[in-house]
Amino acid sequence: MDKFNFLTVAIKNLRRKTFRTGALVFSIALLVCLMIFALSFVVSVSSGIKKTSDRFGADLLVVPVGARSNAEEFLLESKEASFYMPKSIIDRVRKIEGIEELTYQTYLTTISGLCCDIAPTRIIAFNQGSDFIVNPWLQKSLGRKLKKGEAIAGYETDYNLGFELLDVEKTIFNNKFKIVGVLDKTGTGLDNALFMDEENLNDIIASGKSPLKTGDISIIFAKLKKGLDPYLVGKKVEADIVEVDVVSRREMGGSLLNALKDINKIFLVSISMASILAVFLVWAIFSAIANERSKEVGIMRAIGAKESHIVRLFMLEVFIIAIMGSIIGIATGVSLSASLSRSFNILKDISASLSLIQHTVIAIAGLLVGFAVCVAGAMMPVNRIKKLEPLLAIKKE
Amino acid sequence: MQHIEIEDLSKIYTVDKLAINAVDHVSLKIGKGEFVSIVGHSGSGKTTFISMIGGIIKPSSGRILVEGNDICLLNDDALSEYRNRKVGFMFQFASLLPVLTARENLLLPGLFNGAKTSNDGKKAVEYLEMVGVGDKLNAYPSQLSGGQQRRVAIARALMNDPELILADEPTGDLDEETEGEIMNLFEKLNQEKKLTFIFITHNLELARHAKRQIRMTNGLIKEI
Ligand SMILES: Nc1ncnc2c1ncn2[C@@H]1O[C@H](COP(=O)(O)OP(=O)(O)OP(=O)(O)O)[C@@H](O)[C@H]1O
Ligand SMILES: [Mg+2]
Repeated sequence: MDKFNFLTVAIKNLRRKTFRTGALVFSIALLVCLMIFALSFVVSVSSGIKKTSDRFGADLLVVPVGARSNAEEFLLESKEASFYMPKSIIDRVRKIEGIEELTYQTYLTTISGLCCDIAPTRIIAFNQGSDFIVNPWLQKSLGRKLKKGEAIAGYETDYNLGFELLDVEKTIFNNKFKIVGVLDKTGTGLDNALFMDEENLNDIIASGKSPLKTGDISIIFAKLKKGLDPYLVGKKVEADIVEVDVVSRREMGGSLLNALKDINKIFLVSISMASILAVFLVWAIFSAIANERSKEVGIMRAIGAKESHIVRLFMLEVFIIAIMGSIIGIATGVSLSASLSRSFNILKDISASLSLIQHTVIAIAGLLVGFAVCVAGAMMPVNRIKKLEPLLAIKKE
Repeated sequence: MQHIEIEDLSKIYTVDKLAINAVDHVSLKIGKGEFVSIVGHSGSGKTTFISMIGGIIKPSSGRILVEGNDICLLNDDALSEYRNRKVGFMFQFASLLPVLTARENLLLPGLFNGAKTSNDGKKAVEYLEMVGVGDKLNAYPSQLSGGQQRRVAIARALMNDPELILADEPTGDLDEETEGEIMNLFEKLNQEKKLTFIFITHNLELARHAKRQIRMTNGLIKEI
């Protein structure tokens, strides 16, 4: 014969009012979905920023004075920007105490028109001799250095421009470039760029189509000697060289993170309010359920159910609702954030994506909130009903 | 040996500050294996009285000793175990759980019994056959007649092999023939298993089946 246990009773009880059970599951699902969505958003943006600043492997970013936010936008949000300073700054930075290693890059954006036969895209020209930013990926993807007249595409660039076939020739500022490969996904703004060695810049300048002048660079990346505070060294650089601004690794994305804090607060407030609403809903429904079933509870108590048995029966129902609601909520929340991430510029630009661990942690958080809301809402009515004397519970209508 | 000793037992309900002495300083001794009937007018306190013995409502004062132990002093878990293992309660009103089938209603007491044995399934079928609803195993209460529901409830009260049966008008809506069968079953259980029976009835004819008869009036008892 089939099994008979507490779960059987709980499931049968839930089935007697499918619409009501469904409505509860749906509300929990909505709450969990909202939470998953908000968490995914916040976590992907902030971890995207962190990942980017970590990937650069540099403690300090030195940019022309006033270009600090341009640089952050270029690196974090894949925005186009042109900011330049003379190459001579490199040596002045190098002389500052505490700097161990540095490299530099020059940024420009292709323009559509006769000079270029690709859609506007960001170009990063770097110095292969001193580079420690791009090289690790280059080694992995290509296994050798770039030659003159060669370019390699960032992961997203390849997708956006539709190169697909490698070894294609492209004209950039009237110069022919061979696209020799695609870099692995880095999850940073570097995915949205085309990389080439800086020795190509002279030819590009010679084309007369770019705003670039000979000897211009955009940014210097610096590594510090061990144990030095990047913030202090950064201040010293700014004091010694008035033509530059410095962004330390810690400050990177500071303005974005600040904006994120406000978004955080909005999410926090709306999730709290939604949770309170959901707790109230669960409470109201379980109060009604408890009243409806007071006779049944009285009978079960009369034939020997302990208070804990009554709690177990109701909590099983609560758990089933919580699990179903949370799972539906997690599934919809995950797909919602996946599909909406394309329509949020900030997510697209940061090329933020969540790791499996982050996904799991967010899902668990959603599950916990779903459970907490259900248990909190049902606790009071269930405790009230279990305390009734059996005969009085039976007679209560 | 006395099975139940009731000493100066009272239950006062208060409704709108008005005290109702539903059971009024009652003392009574019932031996093991006795067969006792209680009659009395509606509202005389019969249900309240046996409910206190069955541990489903607390007395206002007095003591109820069952095999020498005062059940009024038990904590909630121990009292629940007492109700589960020692008492078979048959209610005056419909008392089956509507979401469970007849068979599942019989398995319910076993669910609350920690020391449950695994042959409950077989026993449930056996008992349902014994009370004449063996063909209604998987019927829900709403699919049973009033009398059939009552018989399922009687069978349920026997499931955990209680030593004391408290029956509140157990044959209320049964026809005379079935009523007779149920009374025969009670007498058989009383004689063969030495179960103690206390049953409430409005039917004086039935009351006379019992060797000991009690009349209740306004919360007071009198042996007939
Ligand atoms: N929960 C309650 N609150 C207040 N008064 C109650 C309550 N239960 C019973 N009473 C009162 O206690 C008295 C005894 O009730 P009880 O149910 O014990 O009577 P009874 O003898 O079983 O009646 P019947 O034969 O109609 O079942 C009645 O006057 C009733 O009004
Ligand atoms: Mg009664």
